[in-house]
Amino acid sequence: MAENTIEDDKRLIRDFILRHVHGEPLDDDEDLFAGGYVNSLFAVQMLLWIERAFGLRVDDKDLDSTNFWSVNAITAFVTDRRVSAGGAAWTSN
Amino acid sequence: MTRIPLATPVPLDLADELARRIYFTSDAITGFSMVTSGDAVTAVDVTLAARATDPVDLGRKLDVIVASDVLGQRRTAPAVVWHADASGPVRDVFDELLAMGAATESGPGQIAVGEPVLSLMDHLDARLRDVAAAEFTAQEFRYPTLLPADALLRTGYAESFPQLLMFVSRLHGDVDSYRGFLDTMGRAGRGAATLSEGLRAHGGGVDHCLPPTMCFHTYHQYADGSLPAPSLVVTSRGKSFRHESRYHRSLERLWDFTIREVVFLGPVDFVLDCRSRLMERTYALMESLGLGGRCEVAGDPFFLGEGTTERSWSQRLLKLKYELRLPLDDADGGRDVAVGSFNYHEQHFAKAFAITGETGEPVFSGCAGFGLERLAYAFLCRHGVDARGWPKDVRAAVAP
Repeated sequence: MAENTIEDDKRLIRDFILRHVHGEPLDDDEDLFAGGYVNSLFAVQMLLWIERAFGLRVDDKDLDSTNFWSVNAITAFVTDRRVSAGGAAWTSN
Repeated sequence: MTRIPLATPVPLDLADELARRIYFTSDAITGFSMVTSGDAVTAVDVTLAARATDPVDLGRKLDVIVASDVLGQRRTAPAVVWHADASGPVRDVFDELLAMGAATESGPGQIAVGEPVLSLMDHLDARLRDVAAAEFTAQEFRYPTLLPADALLRTGYAESFPQLLMFVSRLHGDVDSYRGFLDTMGRAGRGAATLSEGLRAHGGGVDHCLPPTMCFHTYHQYADGSLPAPSLVVTSRGKSFRHESRYHRSLERLWDFTIREVVFLGPVDFVLDCRSRLMERTYALMESLGLGGRCEVAGDPFFLGEGTTERSWSQRLLKLKYELRLPLDDADGGRDVAVGSFNYHEQHFAKAFAITGETGEPVFSGCAGFGLERLAYAFLCRHGVDARGWPKDVRAAVAP
């Protein structure tokens, strides 16, 4: 079973987000909420998706960073969690 | 005391979310304590009003609240963004205010205030109003108390906070209704129960409500049109009404109270910047008044509506609401009260009220509300009821 690369993760995260910003162009570093791209209820939807898709538990301390809500920041978080969990890979949607 | 077991235990870190909803579950509950086992609340011990209450049915109601409003939430860590200590002790002065005639209890959550509380409230309000004027050149309005029911419904408040609603009603506008009402009064005698019976039989519809906050008037004011400027700051002061399940015996939780409100309307950057600047200016004001306290991320008591847990969680996750909390008493581990909040609504109200900006898209909005009775009360608990102990500038303005 092939392991997801960081770029695979980023593509998945970007695709998920782009499905919810109604075709607006979005930079990978751009804060979703500060930019007004999505409303706050999307935060819950996205966290639950991250947990499901990557088999992770997101705690509130993970969200302390003010720049959690960008494609790059979420990818970094998922990568970091993977490493600390011993490299378990996402395998299905 | 009656023990009500919970069908699903509530994790201890969500116990506060359960506690804040228990009185709203049924007004038969007059007191409660939570029963814990391990790391969960497994039952609630309740004391009940004298009337017959079925514990099984009460258990059903509690289980509904636990399932719809509590279990889906996740506790977020306290996030304090401002903290200041002030010198000297803080103690509850409500008994002193009663003794000197500066406060009079006229009913649950309803307190009449006289001097020096009255002038102190006006002074604190003037200081807040000055901030809004100096920092934002805010336009001021004085709104009617009554809020059209349609405006309240547009806000979504009825779905989010049904427990707090206050309706305004009157008799159906017809001579037969008036006569029927008078007949009911004559037949049954005068009293609140008779009024309720007369209203049920001869009442008209509910076309107005009492406002739970001032900013709803502002959205209604600019509804169904484009803002008269790219961005706008509006301030107002008025009476607001929230029906709480229980009222403390003091000025800290009132049924009707006075709010100084500041509303920001415009592009997202403008609104968030205004909120941030007002928070900073408010901290400075609190420090100049010699008031210690803290400001932290907070949530609204959403109740029973669809998506309650998601809304509560997202509100905290994205720091949509900050509360300014000031101490009231040092005793028993300390007690404090929220005297103000700073809120960001994204496009919720602009979409609901069809308020558009330059691009034709709904604008963003935010608001800050300050409870003037609470603020004055926190000031008095800190500095005492004797004006000789107050900061000089406040004493000079209020009690020269």
